[in-house]
Amino acid sequence: MEKITFATQLLQYFITGLTIGSIYAMVALGFIIIYNVTEIINFAQGEFVVLGGLVMVVFTVSAGLPLVIAFPATVVLVMLVGILLHRLAIRPIRKPSVLTLIIATIAASILMKGTAMVIWGKDPFDLQAFSGRDPISFLGAIIQPQYLWVIGFLILITISLSIFFNRTIIGKAMRACADNPDAASLVGINTTNMILLSFALSAAIGAIAGIIVTPIALMEYDRGVSLAIKGFGAAILGGLGSFPGAILGGLIMGTIESFGAGLISSAYKDAFALIVLLAVLFFKPSGLLGSAEISKMKRF
Amino acid sequence: MLRIEELNASYNNILALKGISIKVPKGEIFSIIGANGAGKSTLLKSISGLIETKMGRIFFKNQDIINLPANRIVGLGISQVPEGRQLFVRLSVKDNIHLGAFLYHKRRYRKDINEKIQGVYRMFPILEKRSEQIAGTLSGGEQQMLAIARALMGRPELLLLDEPSMGLAPLIVKDIFGVIKELNETGTTILLVEQNAKAALKIANHACVLETGEIVLEGLAKELSDNPRVKEAYLGG
Repeated sequence: MEKITFATQLLQYFITGLTIGSIYAMVALGFIIIYNVTEIINFAQGEFVVLGGLVMVVFTVSAGLPLVIAFPATVVLVMLVGILLHRLAIRPIRKPSVLTLIIATIAASILMKGTAMVIWGKDPFDLQAFSGRDPISFLGAIIQPQYLWVIGFLILITISLSIFFNRTIIGKAMRACADNPDAASLVGINTTNMILLSFALSAAIGAIAGIIVTPIALMEYDRGVSLAIKGFGAAILGGLGSFPGAILGGLIMGTIESFGAGLISSAYKDAFALIVLLAVLFFKPSGLLGSAEISKMKRF
Repeated sequence: MLRIEELNASYNNILALKGISIKVPKGEIFSIIGANGAGKSTLLKSISGLIETKMGRIFFKNQDIINLPANRIVGLGISQVPEGRQLFVRLSVKDNIHLGAFLYHKRRYRKDINEKIQGVYRMFPILEKRSEQIAGTLSGGEQQMLAIARALMGRPELLLLDEPSMGLAPLIVKDIFGVIKELNETGTTILLVEQNAKAALKIANHACVLETGEIVLEGLAKELSDNPRVKEAYLGG
């Protein structure tokens, strides 16, 4: 009996890890979309997730809107915040270097966190789970229905992004901007608009992550930093710039955290992600799926 | 077609063009020759809009385009084949060609685009064979063809070519110049920048010589190739 329980426990850690890893993967995807077009690491990425959760609370709990309306409304609102971030913090900077822009995103993230604290206060908020909280039993492990929503959304986002970047002309134009901005403007692509679009897209993915994780892990104003660090770690682990890498990195990060918390100590939960991040930077800075060739050309 | 008046332009905070005035008549091939660093590329980039630090007037079909950004200028009918190809190296050959017609995708000319693609494939059959390949893996000559094909997808009336022969084997240079001539015969006006002065003067109607940011000679290409100064400095005596 003892042996089976341990196996079930491992399965439980694994499933929880995949769920939380899906969220990290979404944060990492948000980082990469902006990074690929602009080389900026947007440190306000975690704030998009926080805003997604908190705005959703306002729409569903306070305003009483049904899920199907509140969900897209929240995503659109956070996208607008992403667009404002670009308009107010990124674009006005004259003769920008990548480093100044990154610092601008840090400033924006502090500002957004402060504003969120004023609006929502310091208490964590809960959201109703999308399809109830009756756990499903799977080989002895307990799965919350919301876990399936999280994993499902990661799959949906992955498929949508892959269609967008590989099949549509706007998606290809965004990749062209990342590849060679001068050549992109020579074929008539407005690079500023593409950067704007990358912020809107990243914000949308962040908002989705925030909305679906809140029923599992609650949401409060200052969760952005830890989400950003883990998402960033996931992006680095996968090879900064690689989409499959970001997803793989996120899932690995979540699984390590879950096993670490379960088997070693949950007090060090947040440390595991940082250890992984440091280990990658020491031993394989180009990440799991990034090419060493490209990482040599990177400025960050 | 293109008229430049008193153009000054700086590149990396250095004044690279001083008081340039040229006229490129419709339907011609106009060559600009000059040594490395004479300002040839800066001139083309000023026309296409990649260089924004400039003063003077650039008229294209009687519209002053000096203050327009690059992505607007291409819509007016000026395409540039930049120095060093500047392909989207991580995208496929097909995607590079599709992106050349980016403005037309927005305007919903899908059928025209497909016809145009067939057109560039007829001109460069090798590109059709390599259409799924990543652009960065093509040979130098193929990359130059792709750069020209991408520029043509923008339906230029004026094509700016920056050093199309650079780094290519003589036989391929001959092919590329053949294509340039063919394009001109089908109605595209061409402004060609070249270090290979002999080839550039041979196919051009008019030409000018650029030295340290100023035009020192200008005239019919034939006359320039007979000019003793040009002969000595650019045609190897």
